[in-house]
Amino acid sequence: MVCQMTAQTTITGTVTDGHTPLPAANVFILGTIDGCLTDTLGRFSFKTTKTGQVTLKVTYMGYNDYTRTADVDELHNIDIRMQERATSISEIVVTASTFSFGKSENFKTIDALDVVMAGNSCGDVVAALQSLPGTQKVGEDGKLYVRGGESDECQTFVNGMHVLVPYSTNTEDTAVRGRFSPFLFKGINFSLGGYGGEYGQALSAVLPMETTDLATSDKFGVSASLVDWNIGGTKVFGNSALSFNAALTSMGLYDQLFTQRQDYTRPYRKLAGEMQYKKEYRRGDILKSYVGYDLTSVGVHEGERNISLKEHNIYANLTYKTSIGRGSTLFAGIANSTVWNRIDDAVTAGDHYRNYRSEIHLKTELHKVVNERLKLQAGIEDYIRHSTLTFAPHHYHLSYNIFGAHADAQLRLIPKLFLNLSTRTEMMRGSWLLMPRATLSYIPNKQWQLSLVTGRYSQTATDDNLAQSNYTLGQSTADHAILSIQYRSTSSLLRIEPYYKRYHHLPLMQQGIWSPDGYGTSRGVDVYVEDHSISPRLTTTLAYSLNDSERMYRDYTKPGIPDFASRHNLRLSLKYSIGKCIVGISESYATGRHFAQGTTPHYNSVDVNLTYLLSPKVIVYISLNNVFGRTNIHRYDTDGKGITSSRDRFLYIGIFVSLKNNKAYDISNF
Amino acid sequence: MTSVTFKHFVAIVVLVFAGVMNLKAQQPSADDMLNHIGMLKRLEAMQPDSIASKYQLALASLNFAISYPHAAQTENMLAQAQQAIDQMAQMKDADQSDLCTLRGFLLMVRIVQNPAQNGQKYYLDVLQAYEKALKLNPLNTLAQELQAKFVEGMKQATAQ
Repeated sequence: MVCQMTAQTTITGTVTDGHTPLPAANVFILGTIDGCLTDTLGRFSFKTTKTGQVTLKVTYMGYNDYTRTADVDELHNIDIRMQERATSISEIVVTASTFSFGKSENFKTIDALDVVMAGNSCGDVVAALQSLPGTQKVGEDGKLYVRGGESDECQTFVNGMHVLVPYSTNTEDTAVRGRFSPFLFKGINFSLGGYGGEYGQALSAVLPMETTDLATSDKFGVSASLVDWNIGGTKVFGNSALSFNAALTSMGLYDQLFTQRQDYTRPYRKLAGEMQYKKEYRRGDILKSYVGYDLTSVGVHEGERNISLKEHNIYANLTYKTSIGRGSTLFAGIANSTVWNRIDDAVTAGDHYRNYRSEIHLKTELHKVVNERLKLQAGIEDYIRHSTLTFAPHHYHLSYNIFGAHADAQLRLIPKLFLNLSTRTEMMRGSWLLMPRATLSYIPNKQWQLSLVTGRYSQTATDDNLAQSNYTLGQSTADHAILSIQYRSTSSLLRIEPYYKRYHHLPLMQQGIWSPDGYGTSRGVDVYVEDHSISPRLTTTLAYSLNDSERMYRDYTKPGIPDFASRHNLRLSLKYSIGKCIVGISESYATGRHFAQGTTPHYNSVDVNLTYLLSPKVIVYISLNNVFGRTNIHRYDTDGKGITSSRDRFLYIGIFVSLKNNKAYDISNF
Repeated sequence: MTSVTFKHFVAIVVLVFAGVMNLKAQQPSADDMLNHIGMLKRLEAMQPDSIASKYQLALASLNFAISYPHAAQTENMLAQAQQAIDQMAQMKDADQSDLCTLRGFLLMVRIVQNPAQNGQKYYLDVLQAYEKALKLNPLNTLAQELQAKFVEGMKQATAQ
């Protein structure tokens, strides 16, 4: 028997962050397993058989590693002061002016479902987003109006690619829904202003949405309600998957069961089909394609007119993202939006409105993480647009393109202080526009964020205005300045954002001639509170917006408050889980809007919903909007008549079934 | 809409889920586990290019986190696990099935930490992560066990 006696040295000391002890820090001799964890007072003591020069290493999450090379006999009662690790630029998610849903960045903060299921959204992403601060209630069209901006100042992007017409269509003064189902997406980033250089052609806001990852198994599901029927599924092949979804929406049955104000000659119907193909390659490279088609038709009798509306809407995109090494990612995409719209008796009996719009969007982006302090992004894109309108005696054909390029740099100036600098340039019909943008963020810890955002944004006039002005209108611009303060604890979130926007070159018609001389301002403050502290089963949210807008544009003869803007918007919602049910109740309030004919009464609606799980594969969902049946007047027409919704209340009852035997709790088709 | 409704409902399911998950049975004490993790960390430092040591470190950290979801060191353990997973993902020979399993496990811990809030956010991701892990390697026993426990929790909660 051989017995080897080896001398042991005891190493002792204390680990602190300079003020307080760090418990459970890992202290050891590099290259050995000799070591231990610090105790609650930051003390450590362990023995090593090493002699001579050794390297002592200390690691602790969130702190820089500490190393010290010395003779082992000198490592007694040493005081080690750890330095807090500066957050890497890749780890930073600046939340200013943005509501992120899904898991596109780090852990989810608020889930899109929280708002989608609350109140009256009925699964519509657009309606759900209207529960957030900064949005305004415009009941007669249901679209997104952000911080005193028009609805078309908010643009939608799917996988980075532009969507020309993100809404379904309907007759005038009837709220529309978003075209896309929420379960298509894994991430939604709704930016209410101050976005980076990647996004253009949006004066007020952008809504980028990222489709889900490759499905892991086959899916098949159906759903039915009084107004819509849906079937869809996914087939997975190795590293790729093909999905389809078909939906029919028809108000025919509902119109027979419940009275409404409008005299429909043909009920609202929408037939929609979607397909997706995704393929994942080695190293995480991914190809995503999407194509969706909607056919919408509705007929309504109004006075002398028998309005007949029909729309075909196609949207397709193809994107590819690949890692090219050294922290670089390359993205390329192409998208096409095409919409045909035909309305008979649109304005007067016997007229015929025919509109065709199409856009091809080409885009390529390069992302590079240079180091822990610097991240770069650059890209170019082109929007190629065509539009034809025939509406006797008017007729036009438009054809133009907008070229855009941008470069962004995200820097960590010093620990906890971050700067995002970007510049975007656009060229339309030989006219160049340069738009600098910057965001300075102070992020002292996980609880607090303070950001100052500023930048210039642009958007072309609508096709109608461009054609009528013979392209003299060009691009309108808006300068944004936003201060964002956010506090987030484990059970609550508070965000306060004062903002100011100044518009230039808005379309203005004077003496029958369009000119880019319009202007305007929009200022206000948004407040958002989310709380889970009362009970873990109860989620309470409060969204409040104060907005003061003034514009001189369109046919205004003097600066005035735009008719879509209401000064105060408030939304309070509660969601509570009881056994197999989830109950939601929400209150929406908005002050009146200003028209030449007067100011509308305030908007008020109390909405309730109930979700009940019959089995892991079957669920029932019921919602009732405007429980008290208040008749909300959305606007006044030129005769001073109040325009309301076709019905005051809306009841939705739906049943959802997963038909795939191996699937439960997930009947999403994608 | 369909999926939305289902997802939302599962929030209820996961409320009861934490009670069903019983990975604490016969677990060593928190101090013992932390010391073990410390040892693994030292081993990992000795072999910075080893995938196995990172896997073991991530797994041990997650085991601690699910056993003591509200302990003072749990957030550090989760951050450590995430770091190890990220490092593994950058390594050429990392087993994708193991990576999926660890990602699913990490989100499962998040659910156990706060079922009411995190349940509806992550339940589908957890299911998909285990599904993908098993698709890549049907013999991945850890993924099988974790998936079984998760589904069992969902079933029991649903039956109430």
